[in-house]
Amino acid sequence: MNQDPFKKEHHLRQRLDEYHVDIPDFPIKPNKLERVLFTLAAPTRNPLEPIISGSNGVLIVQVVPIIIAAIMTFLPLLF
Amino acid sequence: MTLSEREDVLMIAYQNGDDSAFESIYTLLKPSLYSFIYRYTQEEQFSIDIVQDTFMKLQKYKYRFDPKKGKVKSYVFQIAYRLMVTKLNRRKKWRSLLPFLVPIMDEGLHHADRLSIRDAVAKLPEHHRVVVLLFYYHSMSHEEISAILEIPKGTVKSRLHHAIKKLKEELEGDEYESGSL
Repeated sequence: MNQDPFKKEHHLRQRLDEYHVDIPDFPIKPNKLERVLFTLAAPTRNPLEPIISGSNGVLIVQVVPIIIAAIMTFLPLLF
Repeated sequence: MTLSEREDVLMIAYQNGDDSAFESIYTLLKPSLYSFIYRYTQEEQFSIDIVQDTFMKLQKYKYRFDPKKGKVKSYVFQIAYRLMVTKLNRRKKWRSLLPFLVPIMDEGLHHADRLSIRDAVAKLPEHHRVVVLLFYYHSMSHEEISAILEIPKGTVKSRLHHAIKKLKEELEGDEYESGSL
């Protein structure tokens, strides 16, 4: 016979009962195109955030494009 | 006839060729299945995907269900749990390789009380969280949970005990900070 470990936990049960979930309306069959679009449109973390949010972030954002442009300008001259 | 018995009868009818029974099973099980996945992951779209994939799989492998081995609800939850874990593990792998391609969690707005219980459940380790959700919100027995998670019954009891302890610590700490105690 299974004993209910929540039987004496009145306060915990009361709190757990507050956790309500709204069930959205969706069809039984998945729409693959919708799923792909949702994944592409979903917000993701900015991979450069740890770099640009640092103390030298502003400097990096300003200097790096200049360095890249300089490399791309002078690289063809070397070959 | 109990709800559980009705679900099993519908599944047998579906196995015998009654396609309308499948729609009825979906209508009966969709709310509980969605709420289980959502409370575990707190992601709406992910939960929708898992519910849909679960029923697609149920449709594909309908003859694998044996009413002598358990209820259809347990069978459906087992399919969903396996799909969810596989998808979450795949995501963790992608996140380690390409973190900027993995969607971040949808937080949403919540009532203050629900936020703390939601947070408390989310903070539980995954193996504790799942047993609490299945036992408390879906009234599953230790045996059913053991079958769904493929772990011994003793492990279910132990995890449930530890999960309750952790939840109480989290919630009592939250109430202390908010001045409710």
